[in-house]
Amino acid sequence: MSSEHSIVGKNLRKVDGFKLVTGRPAFTDDIHIPGLLYGKILPSPLAHARIKRIDTRKAKVLPGVHAVLTYQDVPRVPHTTAGQSWPEPSPYDTYLLDSKMRFVGDRVAAVAAESRAIAEEALRLIEVEYEVLPAILEIEQAMSDGTPVIHDEPDSKGIHDAQHNLAGYILKEIGNVEDGFRESDLVIEREFRTQRQQHCPLEPHVTISWLDSDDRLVIRSSTQVPYHTRRQVAMILQLPVQRVHVIKPRIGGGFGGKQEMLLEDICGALALATRRPVKIEYTREEEFNMARSRHPQILTIKMGVKRDGTLMANKMTVLATTGAYGSHANTVQGNTGSKVLPIYRTPNMRFECHVVYTNTPVAGAFRGYGCPQGYFAQESVMDEIAYTLGMDPVELRKKNMIRLGDIDELSAQLGEGRKGLPRHIRSCGLPECLERGAAAINWVRKRETLPEKSGHLRRGVGVACSMQGSGIAGVDWAAASLKLNEDGSFNLQVGAADLGTGADTVLAQIAAETLGVTLDKMIVCSGDTDFTPFDVGAYASSTTIISGGAVKKAAEKVRDHLLRLASKMLDVPVDNLTCRDNMVVTKCECEKSVSMEDLAHYAMYREKVQVMENASHWNTDSPPPFCAQFAEVEVDTETGQIRVLHLVTAVDLGVAINPMQAEGQSEGAVAQSLGYALTEEMLLDGSGRMINPSFLDYKMLGAKDMPKLTTILVETEEPLGPYGAKSISEIPINAPAPAVANAVFHAIGVRFRKLPIRPEDVLRALREKAERG
Amino acid sequence: MNSMQLYLHVNGELKQWTIAPGDLLLDVLRREGYFGVKRGCETGECGACTVLVNGKPINSCLMFAAQAEGCEILTIEGVEQGGKLDPLQEAFLEYGAVQCGYCTPGMILSAKALLAERPDPTEAEVREALAGNFCRCTGYLKPVEAVLAAARVYRQSRKQVRPSGARPKAERRPALHGKKR
Amino acid sequence: MFDHIECFYRPATIREALLLLRKVGKHGRIVAGATDIVTQADRSTRYLVDVTHLGLDYVRGNKRGCVIGATTTMAGLEHSPVIRALAGGILAKAASTCGSIQNRNMATVGGNLANASPAADTAAVLLALDAQVVVANSRRKRKTALTEFYAGPHRTVLNDELLEEVVIPALPGGGRLGWSFQKLGRTASDISLVNVAAGLQADARGRIKWARLALGAVGPTPLRARNAETLLLGNIISEDLLTHVGVTVMREVNPISDSRASAEYRREMSAVLARRALRECAAQAGCKP
Repeated sequence: MSSEHSIVGKNLRKVDGFKLVTGRPAFTDDIHIPGLLYGKILPSPLAHARIKRIDTRKAKVLPGVHAVLTYQDVPRVPHTTAGQSWPEPSPYDTYLLDSKMRFVGDRVAAVAAESRAIAEEALRLIEVEYEVLPAILEIEQAMSDGTPVIHDEPDSKGIHDAQHNLAGYILKEIGNVEDGFRESDLVIEREFRTQRQQHCPLEPHVTISWLDSDDRLVIRSSTQVPYHTRRQVAMILQLPVQRVHVIKPRIGGGFGGKQEMLLEDICGALALATRRPVKIEYTREEEFNMARSRHPQILTIKMGVKRDGTLMANKMTVLATTGAYGSHANTVQGNTGSKVLPIYRTPNMRFECHVVYTNTPVAGAFRGYGCPQGYFAQESVMDEIAYTLGMDPVELRKKNMIRLGDIDELSAQLGEGRKGLPRHIRSCGLPECLERGAAAINWVRKRETLPEKSGHLRRGVGVACSMQGSGIAGVDWAAASLKLNEDGSFNLQVGAADLGTGADTVLAQIAAETLGVTLDKMIVCSGDTDFTPFDVGAYASSTTIISGGAVKKAAEKVRDHLLRLASKMLDVPVDNLTCRDNMVVTKCECEKSVSMEDLAHYAMYREKVQVMENASHWNTDSPPPFCAQFAEVEVDTETGQIRVLHLVTAVDLGVAINPMQAEGQSEGAVAQSLGYALTEEMLLDGSGRMINPSFLDYKMLGAKDMPKLTTILVETEEPLGPYGAKSISEIPINAPAPAVANAVFHAIGVRFRKLPIRPEDVLRALREKAERG
Repeated sequence: MNSMQLYLHVNGELKQWTIAPGDLLLDVLRREGYFGVKRGCETGECGACTVLVNGKPINSCLMFAAQAEGCEILTIEGVEQGGKLDPLQEAFLEYGAVQCGYCTPGMILSAKALLAERPDPTEAEVREALAGNFCRCTGYLKPVEAVLAAARVYRQSRKQVRPSGARPKAERRPALHGKKR
Repeated sequence: MFDHIECFYRPATIREALLLLRKVGKHGRIVAGATDIVTQADRSTRYLVDVTHLGLDYVRGNKRGCVIGATTTMAGLEHSPVIRALAGGILAKAASTCGSIQNRNMATVGGNLANASPAADTAAVLLALDAQVVVANSRRKRKTALTEFYAGPHRTVLNDELLEEVVIPALPGGGRLGWSFQKLGRTASDISLVNVAAGLQADARGRIKWARLALGAVGPTPLRARNAETLLLGNIISEDLLTHVGVTVMREVNPISDSRASAEYRREMSAVLARRALRECAAQAGCKP
């Protein structure tokens, strides 16, 4: 497996690491641009309102203001902001600027001025008279008859039922769940609620836009989706695509929040209006109010099982809100079904989901993409089934889990927004994940001995499993191009978006391995719509497998060309040559060889040919990574506080191209999931305004809060992945929350079905349990 | 618009800058080209803007630039010495402690200040030192490992770490008042 | 952000500072660590007066107790040998829980008190130590008990005055002393949901000679739980007594509900933390319940 390679499978330093540890200018805002103007957006103070009158005259005459835009000044082009392949499977319900406000923070107007202070002053001078409309804040209210319609505009498209605030609706069934329940010995039905979580990338959204010397609109932005952004901005601003150039520098975190065309359109509009460079940079408060977040869901799960633990039926019903606009509405929730139910071989499965609009902050893509919600519910019910049957939770999973060679039919019904493709499981390390994870946390002994009754502290252990996907089958695609330089180095050009994930490094490792060169010979250029070929961007855990697939293909073509050249140069048949260690060498013992540098000189100055190849790649399947996560917790029964002591992640990622980076991805995902479980929540008041838009009161786990982390990379070989790789960036975020909830049940005998699990909830539940006796 | 003169040392070099009385140190540093000092929250919570002032980590988003008068500032740009990476920088690379890199300058500076005081820190002390540097990418494990590894290197090479740089303080100037233009 | 600031003053003496403060009136703000000023971003401020060069950064122990200059930072308190030795180190401990190292290197004890957040970590401890504050303006200087210093949430009795010094009077001597500081937050680095500072002394038979119990973040101002203190006097520490003390504390506090915690939870935790603090004091004093 990975041990036979020299670059793949090695913990090599990131190719962009040097500039990051030295603080070299590398991020979107690390640039001085002469004449730069500051753009700012006027956010709506109301959750649901129409603009009756808007007067920008005072703002316009303020010295230093160069543009003030309202809905009257810009084209009205319905679109989605979701960074997805065209045609996007999200409703086209958003407008550059509109006369209707649909959430607190919605765009009222935008200004560009000489300084941040003047821009802020200009916002204060814009006079707006609103017609206040009743706001819908509760998910359960959204579809009732007589409820105000949030999207009553005639020109939006792709909304399932606008009159009832229904952005999307999904129903898929395999077999017949009612039959399945009838055949079951035990049926458990439970309701779960998950909250609004925010990505909180350390770098807020920031975009700079200007007209270059060819009068093309340049957009330099912190984005995960440069190509989708180019297409969408062109459409919205009514420019030809060729007149837009999107550049993605280093990104300070995204986690799906930047899989969105968020500021680029308005920033471009200001650049066009002023004919000056314009920067829009969210403050942290704006990042909370006006970016994206995870879809809150109410999930009802009903599972039927035989006495021996065999699952017979699984019915999941979801009511989710996408907030005020439908970005990723269908696809996130589709995932809640398609990537969650099939992890267990259940003959009867049913998934039904309503995704509603509410006048709340807009939800979007967030690492895990619907799976954290679904797995919290499903893995909690699995735990309850195991407890009721007197079965070890790990054994229950082993009995039912999907296996190597299986075909997941539900995926065929629930493709991300369009007809999907059935999923073949060609690699599956889940059994080993469960075994090695259980051993690492000392599962068997702790299940027997805990919770030890000592004072007011109680300990427990819990388990949860998950699967994800690697790229969207039949949809995600990428291209790569490789160019030889005269010193034997290579330019690797990929549209792929490294957002801190290490993508540039992993792709360079794949190329270097294929070419038989060392990593330092690769110069990576990524995410520039003029200079790198197409890539859908960084999401759906697609980069290693899809972009990597394109890189491998391009590298193979380059290698073939190099071998032909070397064959001519060395007068040796091509079959007798191979690339390794920055050289082309004979396979036989005659030991003829040429260094890559000499070969490059030969190619360029003798043969006069540029060795350069490109390739495109996509998959007809989405090989799932698998994960088993175990948590040990300690509950303080006096304060209700839950402390996670140990979190074990055993993950089958296929082959780890860079094990150290893969571990890092897993550890970061776990931190986000523990926050999801215990502390993170965007809180809204009665008028739809966020109460805690700052790090003081939106609590993420810090360095002192993290438990002991054990990460076990279980390697399998995936035939569809380059060198056997699948993915790892999302999957470890799916199961820590249910693992913690299950561990808490083990510790104190109380189930929590609402996230986050706050200390007050624990105390209340303990009190109720004591009263019940 | 009022202006005043600010004299200070940044990364060992004497600087004289024209600032407004209300300018924040973060804004001035970035304006003067120190892009390694990052803007993350502007409320002193995330630590992305951490710099060392007279050897002590502070949030430059919460400090008025005028308060830095006569001080020695160390930013990430001053951590490498003559093109050679500091052991902390090497360790962050070696241990996979850098993902997106946005928190990295702040973390390295906080760690540098810690190791100047405590050459042999416990893991708990490292976590305390990094408690004011948020990271959304790593889960903190590899950064902690990197700091402990760098501490070992420092101890082995018996380097005396002077986070504030080698130059003497700027001469203390008398009380300054903002002057109207 | 602060484009409206016209002048940044850096007076070199207290007298100069006080005259400046009178001159700038209500459009001027005192700046020390700046942590609260910047986050509050009051746009009516026109003048900033930096008070960190007035020689008010000191900690001096003396026979009668100790005095702390108002611009001593939280980090300064945390690491001062005098403060670490004082009252079982609870003031140093409280200072060490104020935010992050970056925050503590800037935030000052004077600023912490003058900002008067009900959750301020040092306030409960200083109340338990019967601290006084010395405040001055260009006309007069006065000393006030910290208990008289607070007027409400984020309001003090400071009347265009500079807080110069915190005075901690001599603490009772002798043995069988115990001190404790407890804090509850949502994560390890957090603003207090509840904080408690306690101290007691027992006699040779284990009866409590005196007890001090102060709480923060559970009322409009930090407070002394006088009724609970009275309950302890003359008694031997027992779990029963602590239960009664807890119930009394719950009646003395007046917390609010906010996004961090509900009033009910804060009230309950006042009792839990008070009991934990007193248990720790009792253990130090050699009279475990």
